[in-house]
Amino acid sequence: MNENAGPGARQNADGYFLRAEGITKIYSDGTVALKEATLEIHPREIIGLLGENGAGKTTLTKILSGLLPPSHGRVVSPRGPVRFANPREALDFGIGMVHQHFALVGTFTATENVALSHEKPFSRIRLAKTRERLEALMEESGLRVPLDVPVEKLAVGEQQRVEILKVLSRDVQLLILDEPTSVLTPLEVDELFALLRKLKEKGTSVILITHKLKEVQSITDRIIVLRHGEMVGDVRTAEATAERLAQLMVGKTLDGAPTAVELSAEQLPRVLSATRKKGSSGEGILHVIDLVARGNTGELAVNGVTFDVHGGEIFGIAGVEGNGQSELVECLTGLRVPVAGTATIRGKNILGKDPRQIYRLGVAHVPEDRWRLGLVLPFTLAENAILGVHRWKEFQGPFGILRRGKVNQHVRELMNRFDIQATGPNAPAKSLSGGNQQKLIVGRELAKDPAIVVASQPTRGLDIGAARYIRDLLIEMRDNGRAILLVSADLDEVLALADRLAIMYEGQFMTLCRPDSLNREQIGMLMGGVACKEVA
Amino acid sequence: MTENPVRESRLLRGVHRTVTGLHPALESLVAAIVGLLIGALLMYIWGFDPWKAYWALLRGAYGGSYEWASSLARGTPLILTALTFAICVRAGMFNIGAEGQTMIGAMAAVCVALFAAPTGLHLVIGLVFAAVAGALWSVVPAVLRVTRGVSEVISTIMFNWIGRWLALYLAIYVIVDPMRAEKTLTVPVTARFPILVRGTDLSASIFVAVGVALLVYFLLWHTTMGYEVRAAGLNPTAARYGGIRNKRTMIISFLLGGAAAGLAGATMAMGLPPSYAIFGGGGLPELTNLGFDGMAVAMVGRNHPIGILMAAVFFGGLNAGGRVMQFYGSNPVPLEMIRVVMGAIVLALAIPELIRLFPAIKRQGERLFAVLRRRRETRSKEGEA
Ligand SMILES: Nc1ncnc2c1ncn2[C@@H]1O[C@H](COP(=O)(O)OP(=O)(O)OP(=O)(O)O)[C@@H](O)[C@H]1O
Ligand SMILES: [Mg+2]
Repeated sequence: MNENAGPGARQNADGYFLRAEGITKIYSDGTVALKEATLEIHPREIIGLLGENGAGKTTLTKILSGLLPPSHGRVVSPRGPVRFANPREALDFGIGMVHQHFALVGTFTATENVALSHEKPFSRIRLAKTRERLEALMEESGLRVPLDVPVEKLAVGEQQRVEILKVLSRDVQLLILDEPTSVLTPLEVDELFALLRKLKEKGTSVILITHKLKEVQSITDRIIVLRHGEMVGDVRTAEATAERLAQLMVGKTLDGAPTAVELSAEQLPRVLSATRKKGSSGEGILHVIDLVARGNTGELAVNGVTFDVHGGEIFGIAGVEGNGQSELVECLTGLRVPVAGTATIRGKNILGKDPRQIYRLGVAHVPEDRWRLGLVLPFTLAENAILGVHRWKEFQGPFGILRRGKVNQHVRELMNRFDIQATGPNAPAKSLSGGNQQKLIVGRELAKDPAIVVASQPTRGLDIGAARYIRDLLIEMRDNGRAILLVSADLDEVLALADRLAIMYEGQFMTLCRPDSLNREQIGMLMGGVACKEVA
Repeated sequence: MTENPVRESRLLRGVHRTVTGLHPALESLVAAIVGLLIGALLMYIWGFDPWKAYWALLRGAYGGSYEWASSLARGTPLILTALTFAICVRAGMFNIGAEGQTMIGAMAAVCVALFAAPTGLHLVIGLVFAAVAGALWSVVPAVLRVTRGVSEVISTIMFNWIGRWLALYLAIYVIVDPMRAEKTLTVPVTARFPILVRGTDLSASIFVAVGVALLVYFLLWHTTMGYEVRAAGLNPTAARYGGIRNKRTMIISFLLGGAAAGLAGATMAMGLPPSYAIFGGGGLPELTNLGFDGMAVAMVGRNHPIGILMAAVFFGGLNAGGRVMQFYGSNPVPLEMIRVVMGAIVLALAIPELIRLFPAIKRQGERLFAVLRRRRETRSKEGEA
């Protein structure tokens, strides 16, 4: 199965930019995240890095970008071995990485954030220079961001552009992107890919981590597949079929004919709807009338939204991130107090209630920001798995004792059911791979046996198999009469799952309809705020 | 980069990583040794014999059962005040208020002299008084924090001063011994902690301190309430999402901490022979700095009750042995020099924790800086317009 010697060897043997030789990474708890990984990166190529959750993709790229030292093995440039003590040294060498979780300072503007990666960031000269450089870069790359607004006020897609600009401002030879597309809408993905192609023409290499085969196939030159820390494939994109890649990733053929959602987005709604029972509209569970809410900066983020979600249906909300979806969800889950409007669950008012009371009404919430909201990172897996349900009767002993045994039992069940890979219930949540953290959150929420699930990007960062499992589970819950509110930037997912679809733009619903009554152009226009009356 | 130009920064990073990565106890041990070395160097420079001085320190701290007892006695109140700090750190706050809470707690304990009660019960009443008084003294900063967002660092420091002068006032004018104006009423025999080792200060109050430490450990790591407190301390946003009421956990941890500090005051008032009273005349010498030393103990003990127990033995030993240093040998170390050496040791012990806190502090500073600068710029722009 090992095809390491493949295309790398065929190309000019000395023409590489960087070579990783026999990289092994053993974390302090004994987890072997990488075994003898060897790869060569050439100038002017885009490499796709594929693998299941926990395969070691992030670990490998962190080692290349100087964030982690390898346990064994070395990184070599044509001039000799290189060792980076920290990311700044790697940047000086020409390697920059944009992480799965952004590392921006929220109260800083884009300029200040970029200046931070330089010496003496806050001198007037440095700031002025950085600004000049950024303006030139924005011109050149087409990545536009407001430079003088604190980044916490920017949409996620914009924040990502800031991260990329931060790296590009250092003239990198190798740009590493860890799951950059999971937070982007299709349009933003296209823009990003156009930029990557432009960079490639200028001689930059790119390593792109993603779980979407469609994306890998559309942009990469070469695909490297990791499985349980081993490099099991290094193939030219042109020669790789989706089936072959999937097989490499999991080590066996995926069962069932309709493979990943990503592969066949166009025909997918039909494929899935064939298997789904007709979205039976049960009793109305969630009713929202004229909801108005302000965002963090006081602007009207949600501006008069009315809808209801019934038992037995999946209600999808699509839209470019930053158009009020987050604020809407926060209002419904007790994290934000709206300005006006009403919202009820089974006839009971939920506005202004705290998350505890709302949970008691049968609401589960998969939050979009797993590091800020979903997890207490220094806590263990077990402690995180009971966040929100820690007051369940079965966990309570006398004198308010938390019954560890019962908790661990619950956690083991979750780990089995959702295939959460970790050394055990007492592993720190920090040490889980991004996808496994997501599985933990989704598993915890769905295990609440809720009447309504409010899910923001539930499959963000999940590998194909896990994402499919979660989607199937959502459909199963729907079929059992639960109501599901699905908010996602992943248009394929919303179109595949939703029984009814709303498209949100600047705090309002542009339309509310059945997903199959729209084609993708129309959706794209609606997401951009162009109303097309005939479809509504 | 092939040559690696930034070698020394790598060395520093390596040292940092090793120091912080070591097992916590080992880390504190290394820090203690470094502190002792610095102290030795200082003494050497000023012409004292570090070997003899440290030998005296060691003998004075742990040289025999008498010395052990003195060291433990001095560590007892520090266990409690360290818990005050540690509980609040776990809940995500910096409670500097143990100093004032201890003084108020001690005064409340002295109040048992105002009435009679059977042996044992009298003691328990005193403990309850002290714990309640300490907790009450932390209520205002806690409520201010929760309702108005007032920084607990500022408010507890202010309350330390209010507490100190109030305690002094009480000691000099209200519960003063009518026979001897420099001290408070004497705690009656029925309310005193029994002495464990004859001729030393070690009283049964150490059981209270150890008991409270174990209780705090149990509360924080084995109960639902402790789970909520720790979750809110580590990630308040996620805690709120998980249905935890952060205001409640803040108040609870403040009250618990205040009660522990109050008990520290009680151990001094009811367990310190021979006077069993507090000296208002000298400006509360027994109580002064218990709260601040407790913060050092908490940091060395990594804000963990078990670590605090070990650190308190060490600090108690330093205190007890330090006194011996100044009487030892032909060229004894003067008290001032001993203080300097102690300072060096405490600083070295606190450094690992400070290194851990440093990035957060730096980030806060940078944020503040950027926001201020932006404000200034917008204001000057508005001025121009
Ligand atoms: N700090 C850590 N300590 C211990 N183990 C870790 C740590 N970080 C990652 N691991 C483990 O190393 C393995 C690889 O993790 P990595 O984050 O590289 O996966 P990944 O391929 O990026 O997965 P994902 O697609 O879910 O992001 C996982 O089993 C993970 O649990
Ligand atoms: Mg990852």
